[in-house]
Amino acid sequence: MNFRRLVFGANPRRTSVRILVLATAAFVTLRWILMPVRAEGISMLPTFESGRLHFVNRIAYTFAPPARGDIVAIRLAGPHVLYIKRVVALPGERVRIVEGQVQINGIGLDEPYVHNRRPWDTEEVQLSPRQYFVAGDNRGMSAADHDFGKVDAERIIGKVVF
Amino acid sequence: MTSRPAVAAIAVIAAVAAAVWWYTSRSDEAEIRRRLDRLAAEINTGVTEGLATTVRAATIGTYFTDDVTIDLGPGTAPLHGRETVVGMAARLQPRTSVFRLKFVDITPKVSSDRASATVSLTAEITNTSVSTGEQSLDAREFALVMAHAGGVWLISHVAAVETIK
Repeated sequence: MNFRRLVFGANPRRTSVRILVLATAAFVTLRWILMPVRAEGISMLPTFESGRLHFVNRIAYTFAPPARGDIVAIRLAGPHVLYIKRVVALPGERVRIVEGQVQINGIGLDEPYVHNRRPWDTEEVQLSPRQYFVAGDNRGMSAADHDFGKVDAERIIGKVVF
Repeated sequence: MTSRPAVAAIAVIAAVAAAVWWYTSRSDEAEIRRRLDRLAAEINTGVTEGLATTVRAATIGTYFTDDVTIDLGPGTAPLHGRETVVGMAARLQPRTSVFRLKFVDITPKVSSDRASATVSLTAEITNTSVSTGEQSLDAREFALVMAHAGGVWLISHVAAVETIK
């Protein structure tokens, strides 16, 4: 078998079409359906380690809203830099953190994914019908160094799936 | 052998692509992006002492209007005026040498009279620890107002956006 046939196949035109279709499918999938993201920072430890590659399912919330416990990608000015946080409270709920324990509508939330907990304290906040309350899993860090709180629904661009 | 219609089609596609590139690269939006990229490059230039620090700070000041306002959010007092920005840039130069600033997702919206523009962007800051050399990444969203004065886009207002409140 000669080199040309090995690279281009028996039918170069068909091979070109296949390459084009595959490239288009990969581009569409990685841009609009399953977007790769690299986690940076320690706020999602131990669930996500810094520097690891993950994927955001951008169509996860097309037919159903985010659920409590989902790990979501939150956009800043655009889709190239994202926060990765866990949904702690849902629209319309009241949230408060007392001694590191999250309370939803006055009832303590069971969070098995939190392994270390510092005694964070926050005022109670009322979420609007278009707001979620998000936080990272690493509650062993200082609250001042951890971005957590209310986020508008339109900023959530997808669910981090793996 | 390549047919003549195929060559013609490729030539037309190339011409259209070149025209689109030429048109978009000359737009106000493209000019704003270039201007902000140049500002980030100026801030990233490693100058730590002497007259060079003053010159660099003055150069950074040319990216702002005389009456610029910079509001970095809760906990910091807003800065007013270009001179304040220049003074702050000069004081912070030794510290800025350990971080790299990059603006991403720059989204300008130019007014119909082309006199002003609102810009949203994410500032990505890579900080290198002096002691360990370890790098950490921080990102913040900003909303800018820019004014078109004398053929140049100048920043007239900067406000930090609270993505997570």
